[in-house]
Amino acid sequence: MANVSVAAEWQLLYNRYYRKPELYPMRWKHVDLARHKVAGAPFGGPVAVIRDDSKIVQLHAESALRKLRLFNSAGHPLADAVWRHPGGRLIGMSWNDDLTLVCVVQDGTIYRYDLHAQLVEPNISMGKECFEQNVADCAFWGNGVVCITEQNQLFCIPDFRNPKPVPLADPMIDEPPRCIAVIEPQYTMSGNVEVLLGVADDPVVLVVEEDGVQRLGEGLLRGPLQKMVVSRDGKWLASFTHDGRLLVTTSDLTGIIIERECEADENLRLIKPSLPEAVEACVDASGHEFDVSRQRTLLRAASYGQAFCSNFQRDRIQEMCKILRVLNAVRNPEIGIPLSIQQYKLLSPSVLIGRLINAHRHLLALRISEYLGMNQEVVIMHWACSKITASLSIPDATLLDILLDKLKLCKGISYAAVAAHADKNGRRKLAAMLVDHEPRSSKQVVPLLLSIGEEDTALMKATESGDIDLVYLVLFHIWQKRQSLEFFGTIQARPLARDLFITYARCYKHEYLKDFFLSTGQLQDVAFLLWKESWEFVKNPMASKGSPLHGPRIKLIEKAQSLFAETKEHVFESKAAEEHAKLLRIQHELEVTTKQAIFVDSSISDTIRTCIVLGNHRAAMRVKTEFKVSEKRWYWLKVFALATIKDWVALEKFSKEKRPPIGYRPFVEACIEADEKAEAIKYIPKLADPRERAESYARIGLVKEAADAASQAKDGELLGRLKLTFAQNAAASSIFDTLRDRLSFPGAS
Amino acid sequence: MVELLLQFRGKIATAKLLILREQSQKELINILKNIRGKKCLVIDPKLGDSLSLIIQTSLLKEHGVELRHLSADHIQTDCTKVVYLVQSQPNLMRHICSNIHHDESKGLQREYHVYFVPRRTVVCEKVLEEEKLHNMVTIGEYPLYIVPMDEDVLSFELDLAYKECQVDGDTSSLWHIAKAIHKLEFSFGVIPNLRAKGKASVRVADILNRMQAEEPVNSSDMVMPEINTLILLDREVDMVTPLCSQLTYEGLLDEFLNIKNGSVELDASIMGLQQEGKKTKVPLNSTDKLFKEIRDLNFEVVVQILRQKATSMKQDYTEMTTTSQSVSELKDFVKKLNSLPEITRHINLAQHLTTFTSKPSFLGQLDMEHTIVESQSYDICFDYIEELIHKQEPLTTVLRLLILFSVTNSGLPKKHFDYLRRELLHSYGFEHITTLNNLEKAGLFKKQESRSNWLTIKRALQLVVEDTDTANPNDISYVFSGYAPFSIRLIQHAIRSGWRPVEEILKLLPGPHLETKRGAFSNSPSFDSLSGVSTGIAKVPDGRRALVLVVFVGGVTFAEISALRFLCSQEGMAYDLIIATTKIVNGQTLVETFMEKLGG
Repeated sequence: MANVSVAAEWQLLYNRYYRKPELYPMRWKHVDLARHKVAGAPFGGPVAVIRDDSKIVQLHAESALRKLRLFNSAGHPLADAVWRHPGGRLIGMSWNDDLTLVCVVQDGTIYRYDLHAQLVEPNISMGKECFEQNVADCAFWGNGVVCITEQNQLFCIPDFRNPKPVPLADPMIDEPPRCIAVIEPQYTMSGNVEVLLGVADDPVVLVVEEDGVQRLGEGLLRGPLQKMVVSRDGKWLASFTHDGRLLVTTSDLTGIIIERECEADENLRLIKPSLPEAVEACVDASGHEFDVSRQRTLLRAASYGQAFCSNFQRDRIQEMCKILRVLNAVRNPEIGIPLSIQQYKLLSPSVLIGRLINAHRHLLALRISEYLGMNQEVVIMHWACSKITASLSIPDATLLDILLDKLKLCKGISYAAVAAHADKNGRRKLAAMLVDHEPRSSKQVVPLLLSIGEEDTALMKATESGDIDLVYLVLFHIWQKRQSLEFFGTIQARPLARDLFITYARCYKHEYLKDFFLSTGQLQDVAFLLWKESWEFVKNPMASKGSPLHGPRIKLIEKAQSLFAETKEHVFESKAAEEHAKLLRIQHELEVTTKQAIFVDSSISDTIRTCIVLGNHRAAMRVKTEFKVSEKRWYWLKVFALATIKDWVALEKFSKEKRPPIGYRPFVEACIEADEKAEAIKYIPKLADPRERAESYARIGLVKEAADAASQAKDGELLGRLKLTFAQNAAASSIFDTLRDRLSFPGAS
Repeated sequence: MVELLLQFRGKIATAKLLILREQSQKELINILKNIRGKKCLVIDPKLGDSLSLIIQTSLLKEHGVELRHLSADHIQTDCTKVVYLVQSQPNLMRHICSNIHHDESKGLQREYHVYFVPRRTVVCEKVLEEEKLHNMVTIGEYPLYIVPMDEDVLSFELDLAYKECQVDGDTSSLWHIAKAIHKLEFSFGVIPNLRAKGKASVRVADILNRMQAEEPVNSSDMVMPEINTLILLDREVDMVTPLCSQLTYEGLLDEFLNIKNGSVELDASIMGLQQEGKKTKVPLNSTDKLFKEIRDLNFEVVVQILRQKATSMKQDYTEMTTTSQSVSELKDFVKKLNSLPEITRHINLAQHLTTFTSKPSFLGQLDMEHTIVESQSYDICFDYIEELIHKQEPLTTVLRLLILFSVTNSGLPKKHFDYLRRELLHSYGFEHITTLNNLEKAGLFKKQESRSNWLTIKRALQLVVEDTDTANPNDISYVFSGYAPFSIRLIQHAIRSGWRPVEEILKLLPGPHLETKRGAFSNSPSFDSLSGVSTGIAKVPDGRRALVLVVFVGGVTFAEISALRFLCSQEGMAYDLIIATTKIVNGQTLVETFMEKLGG
């Protein structure tokens, strides 16, 4: 290609050169732009075309029905739909940020279409006033629209995601405005949309907001404006004046713009060309070039020049090649997204991929994300979902294989999300098969399994996760859904679920828990529950002690006893329950005979002590025999009880009844604890072990006797310890020192 | 020795742990800010204790809060907004429901908020739903998973964790622990090495790995993770140590005075205050320099140190009053005087402790604990415990020794088991059948089914150390005056050389064990096991020592914490340690969690 032709494409406009390359020869047929309403999406997006019903046109070989047709930027047809909406003429249409086509008709109804010409429900209404007054004109921005009615009232929808019409201030004009433009909310001071109106016969622009109208441009404009366009960033306003001039002003119409700073920089570059800059310029230019062979020429030049630059960032060229490969791929007429490099950078690769998958260009999207090292999950996920929607006739097993084949490409992909989609499309079985492949058991998977009726799998997954809350979620779900016996069977097979059920039921569903234990044959657990219940009678205020309510209480315990007796592992518990019932009976009798309500619910040992303290030795003896209380325990209990009432005579008598089976230690301890040294001295000499004797003497402060006993025991360690006990007493400690010296055991210190 | 301890402890990377506290405080204040105007904050008492470590009451009041404790009684307040802050336990819902029903019956119109700690749960909401209150309350979450107890100790505040896992089969706590560690990883990075011993610990590791798979901590952001190794240990593995009486200063304080959230409450008169009959709270944490110095030492040594300090102070004072001093000498003296309140405080506490430690019953108990641990004289131990029961000594005291006895013997012969159970029921009442049942289920007091491994373990790990010098210790056995806590001995091995050298011993203990690499390190063979000397791996870039996080699933005692700090202070130790636990326990509190009266 000759250099001349390249240069000839560029035209000077004000102080800049521009060019207008033809990207594609349009492939569409029979589209005469003059007789159609056309909406082109930004960033090389699709083009929507519909016959303009405000114009009288001659029909060629085509249906009288109007059709909304969608093309890609190369005029390649994407989809179409017959337009039969009521509500009057189509006033305006535009693509919003998420590539939804928004169409406003006369009565203020807004119809929306997706990329595949499918109507997006629900339709939106601009409100009652628009309906009554008719929409005359509208202006769109990325995600909103402003409508002006035939009575010159303005209404706007600031955000289609929350489509509520908002009335704007009354501009107080009688004639419709000559032109209309909007500044997007994100670029205004107030954060609300600003509508610019060029009014007839008045050299001003009205700025209409929710809460007021301003007049701008007075003194700056010499006449009314015919047409206005706001720049993408909301900073500049280009307008066409009544006398045919093109005017660029700031968007607040405070000044006419002339730029100089950039130009100086550019001139500098031209005047002082250095090699690295030239290489840089070639790389940059290749990025801006649409023609593939010119891209190649520029990059080759850059790569040649780069070799002579020492400090040029080598990966710049590589990076550019990467970007261009992506751009060229999407610019392909089949795909038809003619993005410029700035647009691509502004849009970001991930949004581009989003657009591709929305257009069902999954393979290209996958290749690009792979090429750019991005996560392929989004693409595969979208593909899988679209595949499910589009494959109603493919049987579950076949479709599963098709899906798995692709899903396995992406580690960590959420099978649960695909399953949820399958379920939404009425393919419950496929959903269940998909969840089976989900390695995670998280909060999303379990509720999904429940919603598709896979309770057992849900329980398994919840258990695996270790999250008790999830297990309870499943548990309550199954509980509600199934018959008791079936429910019991389910949880009996799952220890964690079973234990959690028991824990919960123990607090809140006592009777139900009994049913469960009976159904699973855990009779001992029923017995424990009954035994526990027997105490409820105690808490009951009616059950004052000694009342006949003990009857039912004892019956419960006896019932527990017989249940324990059913299994041979619970002989001990059975015996204990039996003894408990017996004890309550005896205590009840004791309360009747002594007329003192102090026995019930004390232990066997306490009952014996109480009897002795009350002087009722026969009753004490009876309890002892009834429960086969050992001689050892009996001695401790009786000795302590006698010491409690300080009956030292009875104690001494008891010591002489027979030789005590555990020696005289209980007697010594009881006396020392009661601080009765004189009594203690009676029994200390009878202690068999000299060490015990020594310690006992020491405890009541008899130093010499302690020392004597200790030396009998020949225990150096003991002597040392006793010395410490008497540390404050100088005389005493010297006694131990001499004794220890005499012993002189090895290692004794 | 003391200096050594101080020197290394100071280096522990605690700044981030303190940030945790600030974060939790901020989160709570945000909750309160979002509910405008005056409000009555109703806290469940147990949670209230932990919250006192996060936020001061005065700060709550600044945010228009009237504070109440949750109970079955209705709430008396003029506030129209009531905010419940409760742990997500179904039994607490009962109180909330009865509160609201009471208000309804009195025609009181109030706005109710229920904030669950650490998260809302299906069970709790189910209770509200069944009481038809679900639509009346606004539900929120306060994600408090970890409470920093001190500069190197974290608590999950799950006091029932051990019992719930072992007896009820409710493993909620394990998820909680995993979640808490995962949260830590978001600020410290994925911990590359993991060692776990015990069923619960291995399960925590499993849940943690699942969490990492589902909600990954982005490890590429961190050049080098600050925590090098995570060691998880089940309390079940070592039930011997917590049942032995702790002999460190802090341990003894806990045994006798019950340390609660870093302070003890006792009679004012004990602290030398002239307020007859009044209680006073004494804070015990590392901001008290003297306490930091002596908390981990054997109590015998603490008494000596305090005596020395008091004597030197007295000497200085005498010199001060009798001879003329230079200004700088005066200055030094005044400086010393500043530490006087601390010295007095600990002399008072220590003196109070001696009244317990000198009791024959305590000495007898210590003696018996050692005999049981030595595991040589079965009959002496059996007779001693039998006698305690006959004398109706406090049940917890009896159970503590009984469990120790049963655990070291791997259960008791059926005849003895049934006999002691019967004697217990006869002496303390049949309502304790549930307690016995719980202990049996947890394997703490049971019928003997196999030979005990305790002797083998004790010998192999050198748990009983003769000639322990408590003043200049060279081994962790100083904390129990001759018994090296088994749990810490295992951790000592895990830190030094991993599980491999002690594999044979681990097989003798309950539950599986696990040693694995995680995150980006899981596939790198070069990143091999930890070694004792610092190999570069152990260093984070700025030269600080790397951290090892030791997690006790089921509780840890102060004595064990002291032993770990001692390990940290040893020469050649390549790591600093952070200790995390479900709860700080002692023999008494641990046994109490299993006690449940039938009629209770």
